Amino acid sequence: MSIYLNKSTRAIIQGGTGKIGRVQAKWMRECGTNLVAGVTPGKGKTDIDGLPVYDCVFEAVEKHEANAAVLFTPAHFTKEAVLESIDAGIKLVVAIPEHVPIHDTMEMRRAAKAKGAVLLGPNCPGIITPEVGKLGIMPANLFKAGRIGLISRSGTLSYEAAGHVIMEGMGISTLIGIGGDPVIGTDIETILEEFEKDLETDAVVLVGEIGGSAEEQAAHFISRMKKPVVVYIAGKSAPEGRTLGHAGAIIRKGTGAVNSKIQVLSKAGARIAPAISDIPSILKTLSIICQ
Amino acid sequence: MNLLEYQGKKLFKESGIDVPNGEVVRSEEEAQKVFKKFPAGSAVKAQVHAGGRGKIGGVRLSRNEQELTVAVKTILGMEIKGQVVKEILLEEIIKIEKEFYMSFLVNSRNGNISFIFSTDGGMDIEEIAVKKPEKLFQWQISDISSVREYEIRNFLRNTGLYGNLLVETASVAYKLCCCFQKNDLILAEINPLVVTDNGNLMAADAKIEVDDNALYRHSEIQSLQQEAEDVFERQAKAIGISYVQMTGDVGIIASGAGLAMNSMDVLQSRGKKAANFLETGGGITADLIADSVELLLSNPSVNGILVNLYGGVNPMVEAAKGVIRGISNNMKNVAVVVKLLGNQQEAAWSILEEAGITIVKTVSTEKAVDLLLEKMEGRKAE
Repeated sequence: MSIYLNKSTRAIIQGGTGKIGRVQAKWMRECGTNLVAGVTPGKGKTDIDGLPVYDCVFEAVEKHEANAAVLFTPAHFTKEAVLESIDAGIKLVVAIPEHVPIHDTMEMRRAAKAKGAVLLGPNCPGIITPEVGKLGIMPANLFKAGRIGLISRSGTLSYEAAGHVIMEGMGISTLIGIGGDPVIGTDIETILEEFEKDLETDAVVLVGEIGGSAEEQAAHFISRMKKPVVVYIAGKSAPEGRTLGHAGAIIRKGTGAVNSKIQVLSKAGARIAPAISDIPSILKTLSIICQ
Repeated sequence: MNLLEYQGKKLFKESGIDVPNGEVVRSEEEAQKVFKKFPAGSAVKAQVHAGGRGKIGGVRLSRNEQELTVAVKTILGMEIKGQVVKEILLEEIIKIEKEFYMSFLVNSRNGNISFIFSTDGGMDIEEIAVKKPEKLFQWQISDISSVREYEIRNFLRNTGLYGNLLVETASVAYKLCCCFQKNDLILAEINPLVVTDNGNLMAADAKIEVDDNALYRHSEIQSLQQEAEDVFERQAKAIGISYVQMTGDVGIIASGAGLAMNSMDVLQSRGKKAANFLETGGGITADLIADSVELLLSNPSVNGILVNLYGGVNPMVEAAKGVIRGISNNMKNVAVVVKLLGNQQEAAWSILEEAGITIVKTVSTEKAVDLLLEKMEGRKAE
């Protein structure tokens, strides 16, 4: 089954006619992703390497029964594009762009909630279900299918965590990058809930980082989960008051630091990995069969 | 982007919120000239991006020219939490009856806007929360564009305000709400919001944070942006990378924020410190990597460089070419290790191998760091 992205996914790419979008569309299709169309206003009746392009999301939905969207739009146009997809009835919207204004994200988040759509991002690497496909920018060659679910705020660090898991002979059911911005489309606990229900996931790895309180908030749900959750939090060495790359990654007056997050999560029953390379050995000690 | 008090007050004024009459000065002469406009004396306030300036003498009252001279001499050039005071705000002295606290801010926990109010202002909000939690009122607003003034009035009723003061306070809150929305703010705080002796409400201070990603649609605010103080951070901005100067001797270049943070953590676990945080984001070109390597090499504290990259959206072959170009001027013989994976990894590896650069082909940042530290030790021994 995996979560969100599976064999019944029929995805469109928004902003796929640009230089980066074209390359990413090609790579997504090469690893099996079922891309059915592209949407770029003004580029209707053209194509992306044979993929039909439309001016409106509604048209792509009418003609191809699209049910998912991945966005490579410029940051300034991302809000409109996301709202259009959600309005057209798309239920999984993956917003890759970084530098989207926070007030735009708040509006996108509200719209997704109102329509029951899942919005991943913005400022995220996307989602990959190995051997099924990906809506995002992660290097597919690094992934192998398996029974570990993975949630990460950082893109690059999710690859590193997955890499360690795979190196030790396990694999990934679905990997989701939720995004590094202070406000994001979908909360960690919503995704944990999906993994808890997923028959193809045995355990979940959560890769967090300093700043905000998304990880602490997820703790409440983790304490009620049957499936084990292994957590690594990056940023032990971060100085207070400085934003490190991700706009959300800032320690403000003692809140958002690694230690306070670890305390709350470990109390909730999560297994804490002191280093990212410790994740596989902790997974192996769990009384589940991870393959 | 944080605004200075006088910049924030300008936004308030534009939004219809009253602020004390005041002017910014940058020298003693200017101060003397402006002071003539305040026959009853003036407040002399240091303009820096830091809280708590009052406690360390960054705010003074001057009743006459002698006091003004002393105040300006003391404050101008003073260092407050690492920032040198270059600008001073002179303001009319206002008679204060009451002090309130009022703010709007983005709540990253739930994507809402928090409206926070207290009839006990003047101290830090953290302090109010600890000392008088019963006096702190919070309202979670999910859609700020739909807020009406009467809703705010109805909410503020809980604080015990009534009559004219309730109406006036709600009016300021509504104006602040509009200001917050219109200017893409992350934080808009008035502390204190004062009730003057003749019953008017005035913003006696302004703390505003604007969303950097939205500056493109606020050109007047963008023009206020100050140059970063640190020379490396200034150069980094020109290159187009995210950079924070640190105190160690190992330079880091990573293709993502999480990866950069993790590299710093691994160094720390080995008893070493990073010289910097550097994240390229998704816009890697050969030039960007070459410039980044050169930037780190120009930092005299750097004895080793870890390049830690994943090619998802980033072209790894270009990155490899950039590394080679960047270290061609490696006069100090700084140790370099490149860990690079993802799209085009084989092609990128062979380019680096041909140039004799040490590479790590697994996902283990630990391995790359250990290898780098070994090489750094070796260089020291030579």
